Parts: sequence; structure tokens; C-alpha cells
Amino acid sequence: MTRQLTNDDRILFGAFADHLIPAYKKMPRATDVGVAADLLDAVLGFRPDLREGFFRGLDAIRGLPAAEAAERLFKSDNPTFEILGLVASGGYYMAPEVRDLMGYPGQESLSYDPHATPDYVASGLLDRVVKRGPIYVATPA
Amino acid sequence: MSDTISNTPRFKRGEIVDVLIIGAGPSGSVAAKHLAQSGFSVVALEQGHFPDRSKYPGRNPEWELVTQKQWHPNPNYRDLPRDYPINTSESDVNPLMFSGVGGSATLYAAHWTPFLPSDFRVRTLDGVADDWPFTYEDLLPHLEAVEHEVGVSGLAGDPTYPLRSPPPTPALPIGKVGAKAAECLDKMGWHWWPGTNAIPSVAYNGLNACVRRGTCMSGCPEGAKSTTDITYWPHAIKAGARLVTGARVREITVNDSGLATGATYVDENGRERHQRAHSVIVCANGIGTPRLLLLSTSNRFPNGLANTSGMVGKRLMMHPFSAIMAVFEEDLESWRGPYGHNVESFQFYETDKSRGFVRGAKWGVMPSGGLLGATSFVGSKVFTSEKPSAGDMWGKNLHEMVERRFGHTMVWGIIGEDLPEESNRVLLDDTLVDSDGIPAPKLIYKVSENSERMLKFHEERVLEACKAGGAIETAIVHQMRDTGWHLLGTCRMGTDPGNSVLNEWGQAHDVPNLYVFDGSSFPTSGGVNPTATIMSVAMRQTQRMISERRNLKVA
Repeated sequence: MTRQLTNDDRILFGAFADHLIPAYKKMPRATDVGVAADLLDAVLGFRPDLREGFFRGLDAIRGLPAAEAAERLFKSDNPTFEILGLVASGGYYMAPEVRDLMGYPGQESLSYDPHATPDYVASGLLDRVVKRGPIYVATPA
Repeated sequence: MSDTISNTPRFKRGEIVDVLIIGAGPSGSVAAKHLAQSGFSVVALEQGHFPDRSKYPGRNPEWELVTQKQWHPNPNYRDLPRDYPINTSESDVNPLMFSGVGGSATLYAAHWTPFLPSDFRVRTLDGVADDWPFTYEDLLPHLEAVEHEVGVSGLAGDPTYPLRSPPPTPALPIGKVGAKAAECLDKMGWHWWPGTNAIPSVAYNGLNACVRRGTCMSGCPEGAKSTTDITYWPHAIKAGARLVTGARVREITVNDSGLATGATYVDENGRERHQRAHSVIVCANGIGTPRLLLLSTSNRFPNGLANTSGMVGKRLMMHPFSAIMAVFEEDLESWRGPYGHNVESFQFYETDKSRGFVRGAKWGVMPSGGLLGATSFVGSKVFTSEKPSAGDMWGKNLHEMVERRFGHTMVWGIIGEDLPEESNRVLLDDTLVDSDGIPAPKLIYKVSENSERMLKFHEERVLEACKAGGAIETAIVHQMRDTGWHLLGTCRMGTDPGNSVLNEWGQAHDVPNLYVFDGSSFPTSGGVNPTATIMSVAMRQTQRMISERRNLKVA
């Protein structure tokens, strides 16, 4: 039977995620943007392969202060530590407020004029390459 | 994913078709379209499905998260039912591929870099490996024809190549990443050129114009990256070709005369079927093709089909590859696409033996992606060095690293020529099987000393260029493991049946109605992304089949 997330799990993971991703300068801490709430559900939904390792990680850090838990798991079971880190950072960097603060609009669609003369042509930058001449070795006779 | 295109014609069960094509990737698609348009009856068997581009994740916020699993190019990571597993325990490089109509190009970056003249003559020029049985000039007309079907974008006049026809669509914008890379190379006085890509800048042959979304390597949700599900299969099917998806071929069958008679395959529902054909063309990539030939044993061919020479599966080439991340103070908007290379350089492509190795490498400069891309490249977390504690990578250090790198980073890909060695090979694994119980391939592959020296030299040169341009941080991934995109050489062409599998027309020496048109047939690898040459060779061989149709030996 698939293990379900409990409220205690969210509190435990939230403390761990806030240690990995604390508030710093303009950036919020992980739980401020929902890394242990909706974003946790979203990440585990998009990446069900992470669930097993995620719960294994929670079981390993339960009862420990977040800082000590992170260092212990990092050294004793690094793959599991990496899974908890990916769940935290994967959710954090999907958060719209984090993307806004970083100036990341997501992978956007851009328009351009394909027939416009590129700057590297207009400026003569590419001419220098052309003037140096061919650089290939021709087919031997 | 859908199983077939709705208007795929039906052939009668048991019918013998003129040509059976195994694999609907770049080479198989070229053959299917042109043979069908020339009046051949054609059936193609493809183990994957027809792609549904609404499923590609590039428009979604979880894009980077799923490229590390479901859309990772390594089939062993994806572990999807249509993938077959590959034993890589004895390989320095992981092979990358995708099963589906369009083949592995579904996930390629669309770098369009034809082989250079010297690539066909490495024995004559450098005394290594083998010359091809034809030249750059022989292949050029087929390359130019393919480029007009693919919808290549680029700028004419690159001094890397002899004078030739221009690409059919204008070059894509090189963006701030490309402009910065050009500045780096210009300061060194080295070659650079705006990238030539299989991504049109204007709508072309069913493709939409690129919108620079930058998610090319997880399938293009815009329908702008050139893949043959868009550019070839609609034409092939209109001309009468039948495409069967979800069809995993188990064996190529032969008759008492030693001619191929068709193929046995397992369909989507697990039923075994047989398709009869007068001729068979295998286009299943440099691992899938030798796997299938080795699976096809019989009394007449106990060591695998077309394997009298013992060369089937040998001389696997996957290209040595290093990636270099370079971070600059300037805002480079480096999440913006296209992911096809913005700028390329062939400055150190040709042999200079004073460097301590032969042959050379091409450089391609690409953007770095989104926020998770601060430590990753094509779905793999590589731009992070080993740290003694968690705190070194997390906490405020994470914030500072992402702020420094995001939007300010370019990635240089170094692709070197991989010289063929018989010890690098594809075998059948003793125990590993795919989801239909068919033996899986095993790779034995070691990166050569020549490749090691080549990569080190090129890494140093790239770092010099980045330093000249003012890079504030660099990181090298030397011989990155997940870079086996280019699967070449395992059924090589040659003039001597004693040391080659195919003749110069891709026809098996041992089985005159069996052909291989994919990258398996390459005698050498070049030092460039090979899709342009794979499709050009397929075009050449297909045109030969068409012109010789009355003289073909068939079952």
C-alpha cells in the first residue's frame, strides 16, 4: 500500500528544507513558498520515483535537529540526502514567487525577425573569421 | 502517444512487401519516404510510438524536474516499457537513445554538423582507422537534398567547409550567450560561426518556426525542432508506406538460400507476428542494429546475421565528450533557446600531431537552462564538485551559487573524434532481457588514450577562450558519462568482406537483400554530431536502391 504523507511528515520535511534553503537576502525560506505543502505534493506527483527515497530520508532524520540530520544523512546515505535535496529545490524553484525574485519567466516563447541582419554581421565581427580563410583539409586527390 | 497515424494504409496479413524497414528514426524515415514515393511497397516496424507533442514538458514549470527522469536521454534511467535495458557495467560511457517515430532525435539538440572532407579520409591523411568507401564530395548532393527536407537553419559561408549551397532557412538568433561566446573566440583569433541547426527559423515542411523556448532536448512542444515524425512520415504515409508502432523485432528471418525473408516481431499486445519482405533495411541505431543481427542466428548464420567477418557489434564509437560551464558577470539570459548550439567552433578540428593526438573536436556553445540548470546539464547533476559537508552546497551557499550562475552561464560541449577499436563492442547480455523477454545488449567500451589527450587539450583551449572573455567561474566535466548520443560503427561499411559487414551501398556482404542504413555503417565517427551525415548516407543508399531496383537480389 502506498505510504501517505502525514502532517508530521510535512513538519519534519519543512524543517529540513528550511535548513537547506533558508531565507537569505531577498530570497524566502523553503516553507514560505509551500515546499512542504502544495509543492511537495506536486514534486512527488511529477516524480513518483522519488517517493521511496523521500520517505526513507524522513525516517532517517526523524528526531534529529535539522542541521545535524542534514550532515549525518549527507555522510551516511548521500543518495537519499540528494533525493530530499531535490524534492526541496525542485519545489522551491517551481514556486512563482521564487521565479519572480530571480527574474526567471520560465521557458518562454520569443518572437524575432529571422531575416534581420544579425549584429555580428553588421558589426563586422564575423568578417574577421571569413578573412582568415578556409580551415578545412580538402579531400586528398 | 498514439499507435499509428490514422491514414496508415493496411496491408494484408501475410503479404510480401518490397521493403521492410526496422526503425523509424532519422535513417529509416529517409528510406521509407523515398522508397514509397518511388513505388516500392514499404512497411516500417518501430518499437516505440508516434509522438504526441502535447506531452512534451517544455512549457510546464516541472520541466527541469522531469528531464532528470521521465525525459532523461538515458533509457536505463527512464526505464519505460518501450525502452530496452542496456548493460553498461563495462562501459565508460552511457548510451543515450529514445524509442519512437523520429527516433533518438526526439531528444536531440538538433546540432546540424555534416562531416568534413577529412573525416572520410583519416587513413590517407593521418594513418589511422580507415577511409570511407566514398568521399565528402560523393555525399554532398545527398546532404544538400536532405537539408531541404529537414529544414536546416544557418548562415552560408562557413570556412569550415568547402563552398556549398546555403541552408534553406536563415540562421536562428545566437542570443546573448552566442554573442558572448563569439566575443571569447574573437579575442583569441579563433574560428566561430553561428550554429547550424535542424530547427527552422521560419515555418518549413510541416515544422513551425523556432520560438527559442530552449527545451529542445525533452521534445519540442512547438513542433519546431526537425524530427521525422513531422518532416518525413506524413509524406511517406501519403505515398503508401505503412508504419507499425509498438512493434519490437525479435529476429530477421532467412531462407535456405541465405536471403532475408522478413522479420518476426512482438506487437503491442505481446503477440508474435511475422512481416514478409523481399528486402530488409535495418535502421535501429549503433546498438539496436547489431543487437538484432546478433539475435538473428540460424544454421546458416550461427554467429548472427551478416557476421561472417565477425565484425557485427565491433568498433563501437560514441564520441569522447567534455562539458565546460562558464559563468560571466553579464546577464546572458541563458535560459533562452534554442538549445541547438548558438555558436560553433572548428578551430582545432583537424589533426596537428604536435598536440600529442590525432584528429580533433568540434565545440558547440549552448545555454544553460533554468534554475535547476545551475548544477545540471541535460538532466544530469554534473556541475557540482564533491564537498565535505552538506552546508557547503546548501543554505546561503545555494542562494549565492544560483544567483551567480542563473542567467549568466553558457555550456561548451566538446565532441571529439572517436577512433574505432575492435575491443569497443556490443554483445548480447547473458541474463538481461527487455520487457518482451528478448536478450538485451551489453556494451564493452573504454575511452582511448588518444581521446583522453584530445579532450584535455580542448578543455584547456576552451578555458583560455572563456578567460579571455572574462569568465568569473568555470567548471569542467571531463568525459561526461551520460553522453553516448552518437552510436556509430558497429556494422561498418568497407570493400573487404573479411573485415567489414556492408559494402559501400549499405548492403550486407553476406546477405545481398539485407541493408543497414544507420550510423552502424560508419567506418569512422568524425568529431561532430552525426545526424546530418546519418541522414545523408541513408539518402545516398536509398537512391541507389531506387536506381538499381531492377537489379536488386530479393527473397
